[in-house]
Amino acid sequence: MTLLSPITAKAAELRSVFDQARAAPFFSGKEEQTEDLLAIRVSRDAYAIRVSEISGLTTDRKIVAFPSPIPELLGVAGVRGALVPVYSLAMLLGYNAETERTRWFALCGAEDPVALVFSDFEGYVRVPLTELYATEQKDVSRTHVEHVVRATDMVRAVVSISLIRKTIQRRCGNDGVSKER
Amino acid sequence: MWTFGRKIAAGFTLAFLLLLGIGGVSYRSISALTSTSQLVTHTHQVLEHIADVLSVLKDAETGQRGYVITGDEAFLEPYQTAIGTVHNVVKDLRQLTADNPNQQSRIDKMEPLVAAKLAELKQTIDLRRKGNIEETTKLVRSGEGKKFMDDLRLLLTQMEREERDLLKQRADEVATASSGAKSAIIYGTAFCLVFVMAAGFFITRSLTGQIGAAIRHVQSSSAELQSAANQQASGAKESSTAMNEITTTISELLATSRQIAESAQRVAHVAEETSSAARSGDTTVQKSHESVNSIKRQVDLIVTHMLDLGKKSQQIGGILEIINELAEQTNILAINATIEASGAGDAGKRFAVVADEIRKLADRVGGSTKEIRVLIEEIRAAVNTTVMATEGGSKAVDLGARQFMEVASALKQITELLGTTTAAAREIELSTKQQATAVEQVNVAVSNVAKAAKETEVSSGQTLQTAGQLAGLSRDLIRLIQANASA
Repeated sequence: MTLLSPITAKAAELRSVFDQARAAPFFSGKEEQTEDLLAIRVSRDAYAIRVSEISGLTTDRKIVAFPSPIPELLGVAGVRGALVPVYSLAMLLGYNAETERTRWFALCGAEDPVALVFSDFEGYVRVPLTELYATEQKDVSRTHVEHVVRATDMVRAVVSISLIRKTIQRRCGNDGVSKER
Repeated sequence: MWTFGRKIAAGFTLAFLLLLGIGGVSYRSISALTSTSQLVTHTHQVLEHIADVLSVLKDAETGQRGYVITGDEAFLEPYQTAIGTVHNVVKDLRQLTADNPNQQSRIDKMEPLVAAKLAELKQTIDLRRKGNIEETTKLVRSGEGKKFMDDLRLLLTQMEREERDLLKQRADEVATASSGAKSAIIYGTAFCLVFVMAAGFFITRSLTGQIGAAIRHVQSSSAELQSAANQQASGAKESSTAMNEITTTISELLATSRQIAESAQRVAHVAEETSSAARSGDTTVQKSHESVNSIKRQVDLIVTHMLDLGKKSQQIGGILEIINELAEQTNILAINATIEASGAGDAGKRFAVVADEIRKLADRVGGSTKEIRVLIEEIRAAVNTTVMATEGGSKAVDLGARQFMEVASALKQITELLGTTTAAAREIELSTKQQATAVEQVNVAVSNVAKAAKETEVSSGQTLQTAGQLAGLSRDLIRLIQANASA
């Protein structure tokens, strides 16, 4: 019985939180400026991406590879009824990530969506904007990081999806991938 | 083989016999010589008496003539002396020649002549005394007296010649006897000397050889004896030391035997108590065996329930996987809803709040499922451990039950053996007491032996000393019989 008592307590806690959420008003009037972030892992390093910069999150999609001069382009996958190119976020961040798992897909952009894959999703965090700190981009490997944030008890680099997309567009433009599309 | 004494006695006996022979021969020769010398002396006496007869008659004639011539009575003294001695001389002469018939015959002839001569002399003297010188001269001139004297001289010469012949014969006999005695003494002595020297040489050589061999043997034996005495002394010393150690050890053994006897007594007592305890233990073991069987049944039931519990927990784990999957999908849907709501502007804000709550709930459900998974894993591990432990316990109970049976059997055997042990312990106690007594006796005997070993050690030292003295004596003896020996 002592082994099952924590489970019972957890169920009671969940029930209480759910009830409080339904009982509280939607807006309290004192809204703090916050930023929603997805805590992820890329090649075992902690990163974060802004929820406002992605258009969706999904998992376990089949990637169909095709020949391409761009090594970061892993192939295409079917998401929400459309084929989207799938890029390795690890390789775009400069990692040698041939063995990186490709479980999580973050959709970026509404017009020409692309999917960035990464290995681990650690959670959804909401932090005050005051917790975001700008970084000096001196490191070449950190060109896609403009801010760092303290979340889930550790400091994470916030990957700028817009910079990633620019990089993708630049690579595609230089290599003529967009022309083929 | 002749002994030394026999050889020496034989040598001395032969020498004695030789000396005795030589002495006998010498004695006989000397006796013969002495006898012959006496005969020679006798012959000389006879010759003296013959000469005396003539001399006395001459004295008488001398006195007669002096008186006749002078008429002086003083001249008659030789006549008177001769008259007084002539008969004795003739008588002695007869006695001296009593064993000679020839001389006796001559003396028989001589005595009338002597008497006639004396008568003629007396007649002459008487005539002169009477002063009848004529008649006296006439008578003298008649030569009657001379004739008597001539006859007497003839007889006496014959007697003297015969005596001289006898004297010569006896001188020859003396020479022969003397020569025989000399030869006997010289040759006998020489032979005896040669024999004694030869016997001495042979006896000495024989004795030297035998005594030398014996002394060398004694010397060798004394050396061996010395060596043996050395070894004996060493052995006696070691024996003495060993005996001392044995005495100490036996004393310890005696103490140990006494302790063993006491221990055996205690063992017998403890064995009796243990036998009683084993009998009560047998009953207890029987009861415990029944309890163990009951425990075994309970444990089997527990194992069954725990295996069911393990299966149930596996099922819970499967359900939890589904819940976790649902929570994750809910979380993704909530995130996507939030994104969609943020794209819908103000109209989506309320929906965003709902989606946010759903996402939080899904987060918490996901976290809870992880915790529950951990708990379920712990439960499964605990169940597995319990099952394994229970199975082990079941096996242990089985083993325990078997061992209880063995213990019960062993206890019975122990009870039986303890009876034997008690008897054996009593026997050991008795035997050990006897052994202690025997060890005491052995201790006394060993003490005596140690004392004897000590005495033997001393005796060995004395033997060694005696052997040394014997070796020295042998060397001295060797030097005595072999002057140039250096050994």
